[in-house]
Amino acid sequence: MTKNTLRNTPRRGIKGMNNFDVIIIGAGGVGLAAAMYSALYSARLGLKTLVLGASHGSELPIGGVITTTNIVENYPGFIRLTGQELAKKIEEHAKIYELVTIREEKVSDVKKEKDGFAIKTNKSEYKTLTIIFATGTKWRKLDVPGSKEFENKGVNYCALCDGPLFKNKIVSLIGGSDSAAKDALVLTESAKKVFIIYRGEQIHPEPINMERIKKNKKIEVINNTNILKINGDKFVQEIILDKPYKGNKKLKVDAVFVAIGHIALSDLSKKIGVKLNEKAEIIINHKNSSTNVKGIFAAGDVTDKPFKQLITGVADGCTAAYSAYEYINKN
Amino acid sequence: MEVKIYTIPTCPWCMKTKEFLKENKIKFKDIDVALDKKAAKEIINKSGQTSVPVIDIDGKLILGFDESKLKKALKLK
Repeated sequence: MTKNTLRNTPRRGIKGMNNFDVIIIGAGGVGLAAAMYSALYSARLGLKTLVLGASHGSELPIGGVITTTNIVENYPGFIRLTGQELAKKIEEHAKIYELVTIREEKVSDVKKEKDGFAIKTNKSEYKTLTIIFATGTKWRKLDVPGSKEFENKGVNYCALCDGPLFKNKIVSLIGGSDSAAKDALVLTESAKKVFIIYRGEQIHPEPINMERIKKNKKIEVINNTNILKINGDKFVQEIILDKPYKGNKKLKVDAVFVAIGHIALSDLSKKIGVKLNEKAEIIINHKNSSTNVKGIFAAGDVTDKPFKQLITGVADGCTAAYSAYEYINKN
Repeated sequence: MEVKIYTIPTCPWCMKTKEFLKENKIKFKDIDVALDKKAAKEIINKSGQTSVPVIDIDGKLILGFDESKLKKALKLK
């Protein structure tokens, strides 16, 4: 693909190979979209943009959490495609701009300096005038006896990744959100039976997925019920519920898939003085994606915006990029 | 050096691992455990895990995508 270049445009920030006008921390769909939008200004005004993302440990490869979604049907312009296809398209779009650099590096430190910020990664050090945090979230872990012991031994967090390993098995899915429902539907492609176990009165996916759940004969929903314990030998064999199901608190399952929400990855932003709410989400001005720290913006699942979808995160990523551009112009 | 990788097509870490091996010009055999049930059972028992990718380098297993472990096992810089 041809790079979009407008040469001889002056860089507005500090000169140097490792100096940028905008550094976006997080290379999921939101971070990449912010880079794309920043790039539009880069092309016109010379804003030099770097996206930093890591793919180690609990973090996801470039593309972020949407890569673990099987089918996306709520992104304009694409009636139905996989999360990985959508992530790839956003990445390719961001990459066509010459002033956008994407690097797989893990940020270890962020510091305020006189003329902006210093960022240290596992491979290098950078300076930037502005930062956009698009660090997203990580899966909330299930915390019951056996959940740690059997992690990746039947207790799994990625239905799309590991579901096919449970062909013709009986599996449980803990959670009641739209993501949980989608995971349950993915699991029915391999498992012979999927129990959705939800602590609340009624699972609450989007209506289209609720219909799919109701129509799917492999799925059984057990509401108002908590999982108390996971038992097994080498692998998961059964779970203990707090209420009897069909007269028994023991339920024989081969796997416990977990979809009980996410935790904001906001430690770095907290370190530099960005205000967080009680859920450790970055508090942003919902009009312009700014934080309480001048020159720092945030977008996507890591923020305190309540509706967390790629489509809304991408919009906030673009807003953050525009606000960064305005901030640089004014300062 | 014999490298085998047990994967599932929809797993992002599996793709990442394959990209890493290709970038480093490492020849490998890709075993799709979503299709090959026998291989799925075998790798679950061998690794003690219900998770992919599993990378087998001359019989030594690496569980999940871990760049530093892969580099060390493959003697890459």
